[in-house]
Amino acid sequence: MRRDWKFYSQLGLTIVLCLFIVVPVVMSALAGVTVNVFQGLSSGLTFRWIIEVWDLYTASILLSLWIALVCLAVTLVTGVPLAYVLVRRPGRLTRLFEELLTLPVAIPGLALALALLITYGGVSGYRSSWLFILTGHVLFTLPFMVRSVAAVMSAMDMKMLEEGAASLGAGFWRRFFTVIVPNAKPGILAGALMVVTLSIGEFNLTWMLHTPLTKTLPVGLADAYASMRLEIGSAYTLIFFVLIMPLLIAMQTLADRGKRVSKRIETAEDTL
Amino acid sequence: MTTQIKLRDCAKTFTDGTRALAPFDLTIEGGETIVLLGPSGCGKTTILRMIAGLEFPDKGGVITFDGDDVTHQSIEKRRVGMVFQSYALFPNMTVAQNVAYGLKVHGVSREESDARVKAMLEMMHIEMLADRAIDQLSGGQRQRVALARAIAVQPRVLLLDEPLTALDAKLRVRLRTEINALLRKLGITAVYVTHDQEEAMALGDRIVVMQKGEIAQIGTPREIYCKPQNPFVADFVGAANLLDGQMRDGRLHIGNHVFDAVDAFDPRHGAIIDQGPVELFFRADGLSTCDAAHAHFTGRVEAVSYLGERLRLTVSGIGMHAVMIDTHADDIITAGADVHCQINPDRLTVFPARGDSTTAVSQAR
Repeated sequence: MRRDWKFYSQLGLTIVLCLFIVVPVVMSALAGVTVNVFQGLSSGLTFRWIIEVWDLYTASILLSLWIALVCLAVTLVTGVPLAYVLVRRPGRLTRLFEELLTLPVAIPGLALALALLITYGGVSGYRSSWLFILTGHVLFTLPFMVRSVAAVMSAMDMKMLEEGAASLGAGFWRRFFTVIVPNAKPGILAGALMVVTLSIGEFNLTWMLHTPLTKTLPVGLADAYASMRLEIGSAYTLIFFVLIMPLLIAMQTLADRGKRVSKRIETAEDTL
Repeated sequence: MTTQIKLRDCAKTFTDGTRALAPFDLTIEGGETIVLLGPSGCGKTTILRMIAGLEFPDKGGVITFDGDDVTHQSIEKRRVGMVFQSYALFPNMTVAQNVAYGLKVHGVSREESDARVKAMLEMMHIEMLADRAIDQLSGGQRQRVALARAIAVQPRVLLLDEPLTALDAKLRVRLRTEINALLRKLGITAVYVTHDQEEAMALGDRIVVMQKGEIAQIGTPREIYCKPQNPFVADFVGAANLLDGQMRDGRLHIGNHVFDAVDAFDPRHGAIIDQGPVELFFRADGLSTCDAAHAHFTGRVEAVSYLGERLRLTVSGIGMHAVMIDTHADDIITAGADVHCQINPDRLTVFPARGDSTTAVSQAR
C-alpha cells in the first residue's frame, strides 16, 4: 500500500514531539556519565560521578527504600482490609470515610506536611525519626492502595464467593485469606507497586518533614541539584531512574496481564 | 442417613421493614427434593437462604435439622451444600482445588480428599478438567464443578438456587436430567429454587408454589398441574385462559350454555360451590375448534403462532380477555378470521369469582 504525504507528515510530527520529550532525558543521563558536561562528550565518559553520588547519598537512598518498604507493609496491612470493608459494606458512613481517605491526594503535600508539623512537631523523638516521614507517606499512598484493591474487589462478586466458602464450612478469616485475598491479588500487586513508586519519588511532603539526618532520595536529589556540580545531580537522576524504571515496567506488565485474563473469560465457550 | 428439615413459624422482615415472608410452616422429609417455585420477589430464595443460614427468621421462627435446632447456627456450622446461579467458584483455584476446598476445611486427610475429589469429578463426568482454571470452563462445566464441590463434603441438605438459569435452553434440559439422576442416586434432602415451571415439574417430589411471600400451594407436580388450589397457581402453571361463569344449583352456566358434572371446589372454604359467580381457568386444550353447528362460542382470531406440532390461536370475543386455543398444525387459519369453538368441561378449573382481584393475578405474573 502506498502511503501519502499525510502519513509522512504525521509521522514526522510524532517523531519531533517524541524527541522533544526523550532528548532531555538522554541528555540528563549522559550528563551523569560525562567527565565534564561543559566540554561535552569529547571530555570522555566516566562512572566517577555515580560512585561519588553513591558514596555521598547511600544513606538517603537506603532510607528511601526502607521507608518505601515499611510504607508498603503498613498500607497492605491497613489498606486491604479497609478496601474489603468499603466494598462489602457500602453505606453513607463508608462513603464518607472513602472521601476522607482520598483527601490527602487532593490537598497539596505541603499543606499536609504543615498540618503534621503543627500537630506532632513538638514530639521530639518522633519528629526527628524516619517514622515521621513514614506517617506522611502512608497518608499519601494509602488511598492509592485502597482504590486499586477496591476496584478489583468490586469487580468480583465477593458476597457470593464468601457465601460459597461459608457453605463449605470456612470461617471468616479462612475465607478472607484463601478466597478474598488471592482473588484480589491483581489489585493488591498493582497497589503495592504504586505505593512503592510513589513513596520512593515523593518530594513535596518529604521535603517539609525531613531533617538533615532523615533525608530521602528525592530530597537528596534536590540537595545535589542545589549545591553540587551538574554532573553529580545528573548521576543522581540516573540512579533514581534505575530504581524506579523496573517498578514502572512491572506495573505496566501487570495491567496488561489483567486485561488478558478478562479477555480469556469472555472467549470461554460452552461445549459441555 | 437423610436429614428431615422443619421450618416452624418462620417469617422474614427485612431491616427496612418490608415483609419478605409471612409466617409459614414447612416440613421437608429426609431424602426428598422440594422445589420452591414462583415469580421473582415471591420469597422463594429467602426460604432457601434461611435453610442455608444466610438469612435468619424473625423472632419466633424455628428451624430444625433432624430435630436439632439450627435456628441460630451460622452457615459454616450447618453442613449445607450450596449451588448458586452464578456458580460462586473460586477463580484462584483449579477445578480439583475447588472441589477439595470443603474437605480441607473439614480437616479430611490428604489421601482421602484426593480420592473423594476424583470420585466426585468422575460422577459429574469432568475428571478430564481437574487441573483446569475456572476461567477456562464453560457455564455448563462450571455448574458441574459447583455441584461436585457442594456434594463432596456430604452435606445434610443440598440447596440449589436457580442453578440452570444462566445456561442456554438445550444445556439446561440436559443438566436438569443429570441433576435429577444425581439427586435420586444420592438420596439426599434437596431444596431447589426456580421460576421455571417445567424445571419444577421435572425435579420436584413436591413443589411449593410461592406468591408474594406466602405459600400458595404445596403438592406433587401432578397435584399442582391438575388441581391448582387457587387462581394464582392455576395461572402460574400455565392455565392462563380465563372465562367467567355462574354456578346455579350445582350446574355451571357459561353464557347460555349449561354444563353438568363440573367439579367446582372452593379451596378457601373447603366446600363445593353450588351457587354464585365463578372463574374458569384452563390451558390451551380447554377449548377446541369445531364446526358452527356444535359451537359454544364464536370468536375472532387475533394472532396465529406456529408451534410445530400444533397451531396456537389468540382469540378475542369469547371472554373478557383474549384466550389461547390450540388446533391442528395443518389447519389453515389466518388472523382476522372467525373461529367456532367448543368447551371441554373436564379441562376447566373452577374457582369462586374474586371480584376485581383478577387484575392482581395478571400483575403478579
